[in-house]
Amino acid sequence: MFIARFLARRLLQGALIVFLVSAVIFTLLRVVPGDPVRLMAGGMAPEALIEQIAEEMGLRDPIYQQFGRYVWGIVQGDLGQSFVRPASGAAVGGASFDDNTRSERAEVWDLIAQTAPMTVQLALLSMLFALIIAVPIGVWGGLRPGRFPDKLALYLSSIFVSLPNFWLGIVLALLLSVKLKLLPAIGYGGFAYTILPAIVLAIEIAPFIIRTLTVSVAGVMRENFIDIAAVRGLTRNQIIFRHALRNSSVPLLNLLGVQFSMLLGGVLVIEFIFDYPGLGLLTINAVMQRDFPLIQGIAIVTAAAFVLINIVVDLCATAIDPRLEY
Amino acid sequence: MDRRKFLRYGMTAGATMAAMRLNPDFFFSSAFAQEARPLTILSAENITGNWDPMAHTTLSQFNIEGFIMGFLTRSPMMPDNPDEVVYELATSITQLDPFKLEIKLREGVTFHDGEPFSAKDVKATFEYGAQPERARQVYPGFADTFEVTTPDDFTVIVDTTKGGYGAGMFVFLASYLPIMSAKDIEAGPNGPLSQRLNGTGPFRFKEQAGNDTLMTAFEGYFRGAPKVPGVNFSFVGDSTTRMLSLLNGQADVIERLEPEQVTTLESEAGIVLNRAVSVENKYLWFRCSKPPFDNPLVRKAVCHAIDRSVIMEVMGTAGEPSSNFVSPIKFGYIDLENYPEYNPEECQRLLAEAGYPGGEGLPDLEYITSTGFYPKTKEYGEVITAMLQEQGFPVTLNVMEVAAWNERLYDRPGGGPGHMIDCGWTSASPEPDLVLRTHFHSTSKRICGIEDPEIDAALDEERDAPSIEARRTSLQTNLMPMLADKVPAYSLFTSVLMHGVRADVKDLFIYPDGTMDAASAVRG
Repeated sequence: MFIARFLARRLLQGALIVFLVSAVIFTLLRVVPGDPVRLMAGGMAPEALIEQIAEEMGLRDPIYQQFGRYVWGIVQGDLGQSFVRPASGAAVGGASFDDNTRSERAEVWDLIAQTAPMTVQLALLSMLFALIIAVPIGVWGGLRPGRFPDKLALYLSSIFVSLPNFWLGIVLALLLSVKLKLLPAIGYGGFAYTILPAIVLAIEIAPFIIRTLTVSVAGVMRENFIDIAAVRGLTRNQIIFRHALRNSSVPLLNLLGVQFSMLLGGVLVIEFIFDYPGLGLLTINAVMQRDFPLIQGIAIVTAAAFVLINIVVDLCATAIDPRLEY
Repeated sequence: MDRRKFLRYGMTAGATMAAMRLNPDFFFSSAFAQEARPLTILSAENITGNWDPMAHTTLSQFNIEGFIMGFLTRSPMMPDNPDEVVYELATSITQLDPFKLEIKLREGVTFHDGEPFSAKDVKATFEYGAQPERARQVYPGFADTFEVTTPDDFTVIVDTTKGGYGAGMFVFLASYLPIMSAKDIEAGPNGPLSQRLNGTGPFRFKEQAGNDTLMTAFEGYFRGAPKVPGVNFSFVGDSTTRMLSLLNGQADVIERLEPEQVTTLESEAGIVLNRAVSVENKYLWFRCSKPPFDNPLVRKAVCHAIDRSVIMEVMGTAGEPSSNFVSPIKFGYIDLENYPEYNPEECQRLLAEAGYPGGEGLPDLEYITSTGFYPKTKEYGEVITAMLQEQGFPVTLNVMEVAAWNERLYDRPGGGPGHMIDCGWTSASPEPDLVLRTHFHSTSKRICGIEDPEIDAALDEERDAPSIEARRTSLQTNLMPMLADKVPAYSLFTSVLMHGVRADVKDLFIYPDGTMDAASAVRG
C-alpha cells in the first residue's frame, strides 16, 4: 500500500506543479514582444490579414480563455500544432503572407517525441561519463579529508566548473574531431555523435558530484558505525564499499536526479554548438521563431519529466535508506 | 508489491527500452567513412516549409532548387563576362521583333517523376510565376501583360505586345526561373507543388528530414548522371559549428564565411576557399512611407553621414566597394557619378534644408539589423550608428536574431517597423530589374515602401526600351542617377560570397548568387 499511496500523492503534487508551470509559461509567452502571427504570415502581410489570422486562431481572446482551451487540449493528449514547422520538422521561416500552400504543420507532440530520446541519450551518457570522472576523485578525496586527494578534488572541481561549456565544446571538437579524427562532432548520424557533447556536459556536471561525494564520504567516515565496523573485523574495502559508500549515496542520488532533470531542459548551448538534434536545439529554434505551442509543449514535457525523475529518485532513496520517509 | 520490487521491475523495463534504442552500427562503422557518400553542404539560412518555387524569396531554398530544378539558361556572371548566358533547357533564344521572343527547347529531357519536358511546361511556368499573389513574381508585368504560345512541343513564343514592354526582358529572367512541370502546376498551389520539388536538374528530391534536405543523383539527367551519389543540404545556424564541420570532414561545403574564419581556413591544407563577387548588394533601407524618411533630403543626409570606407574595413574580405544599386556583375552597372559619398558638410546642409538643423527636431530613429546570417552586420551597424549620431541623428541600433528581424523586414501599410533596416538582395540573373523594379516600383516596394511617380516612370522607360543597348542607356543615364538622387535605399557595398570547400571536392561550380552546379562534381 505504501507504494500506491506514495505514487498517488506524488503524482498529484506533480500534476499541480506542471499545471502551474504551464500557466506561467503560457502567460509569459503572451506578454513578451514578438507577434507569432507576423512570423506565420510573413513579413509582407498587411495588418488586417494579421488580425484576421490572429482572430481565427483565437490569439486575441483573453489569456485565461486561451489557456482554458490549451489545458483542455492537453487533457485530451493534444499539445497542438507548431505555428511554423512543417511535418518534416525543418526549421523554417520567410514565406509569403498569403501563401495558402504551406505544408501541413507538425504536431508538437511528434516534434518532442522525435527529439526527446536524443536528449535522454545525451543526458544518460553525460551522467555516466560524469560518474566515471567524479566517483574515484570524490571518494578518494572524502577518504582523506584535508590531504592531497581532498585538495586535488577541490582544485579539479574548481577548474572544471570554471570552463565555459561553449568554449570547451569548441576546443574539444577541434582537438578530438578536427585534429585527431577520433570522434564526429556535428549533427547526429549514430551513437558516436553523442560522445563529444556528452564529455563536455560531463565535465560541467562532475564538479558538483565530486564536491557532494567528498563531503558526504568524509562525513560518513567520521560516524561511529565506521569505527565499530573495524572493531567487528571488517576490512577497509568492506567498510568503504559496503557501508560508507552506500550511506554517502543518498545525497548523491538526489543530486543526480536534479542534474538529470536539468540536463533534459538545459542542454541548449551544447546542442546548438554541436548541432545535436535534441530538445535543446528544438527549444532554441522555437524561441527564435516565437513558436508558442512548441515552447509550451517543451516546457510542460520537461516539467513533467522533472517531477517524474524526482519521484523515482525519492523511491530509490527510500530503497537505499529505509529510514527515509517522503 | 513492495518498493524494492517496484524499482527492480521499473529498472528492468527501462533497460529493455534503452537496449532497443542502441545503435549497433557504432561498433562497426566509422563516422568518417568517405567513400561514395553524398556531398554535404551546410547552409546559414533555414527554408520556408513550402516547396513551391514561386512561393518564397529565400536564398537557401533557391540554392536547393539549383540542384533539383532545370533552367532555360544559366548565367555564370563572371566579372570578366557578366552578360554570358549558358543554354540549359533552352537551345536558343531569338528576339523576333521588339515584342516577340522565340525560345527553342532541348529535346529528350524528363522530369524526375518521369514526365517528358516540353513547351507546355515552360508556358505553364511563365504563366504561373507571373500571378500577382506569388511571392517570387519577378516578371516585368503580371500574366495579363504577355502571352505565351507553343507552335510545337519544343518552341515557345513570348509576346509582350499587350504589356507594351520589350520581350528582351525575358532573356535574363530565363536563368532565374526554375521550370516546373505543367502537371504539377495543373494540380494547383495546394497540390504536389508545395509538397516536394520536381525538376529536370541533376539531383532528385528525396525527403526533408528535420533540417536536412536529402537529394539523390538523377540517373536520367540529360547531361549525364552526376558522379556523386547525392547532396545533403542542411541548415546549421551557428557559423563556428559550420566551420568545425568543414574542418573535420563532416561537411564538404559551407557558406557565408566570416572574415575571421577565412583567415583560419586559409592555413588549412585540406580546404580551398571560393571567393566570388556576388550579385548581392547590402542596403540600408529607409522606410520611405513615413516621416522623416518620406523626405528625400533626410535620406540623402544620412547617406552623406556614412563613410563607407570604414565599413569596408570592417567587412574585410567579405565586401567589395560599389557605387550603384545593383552589383557590378548585373546588366547596366556603372559607378554612378552622383552616388552619395561621405560629406559631413553636405549632410548638415541637407538636414538644415529639410528643417532639422544639426538633427534638431528629428524623431527618435530605430535602425534594425540582424545577427547570425549576413557577416558583420552588427559590427558595421554600430559603425553606422556612431557616424549618424555624430551628425546629430538620434538613432538607436536594434540588433535582432534572424527570425525576429525577418518578421520586421518588409513594408506594410503605414510603413514597415523602425525607420531604417539592414538587408541584402540577390538573384541568380544579370537582370537588374530583379532588384530595381522589385524594390523601387510602387507596385512592389518590398522593403522601403516608396511610391514615387518619377521613379515608376523611369523604371517603365528602361523596361520598355526597344533594344538592349537602349535599355542600358536608359538605366545608366536616367533610372540609376535618379535613384542616387532620391536614395530610397543606400547600397553600402557588394557582398563577396565566401565558401569553404574540402580540397578533395573537384569541379563544383558556385554561382555568384550562391547556387551550385554539382552535376560534374567528384571526390578526388
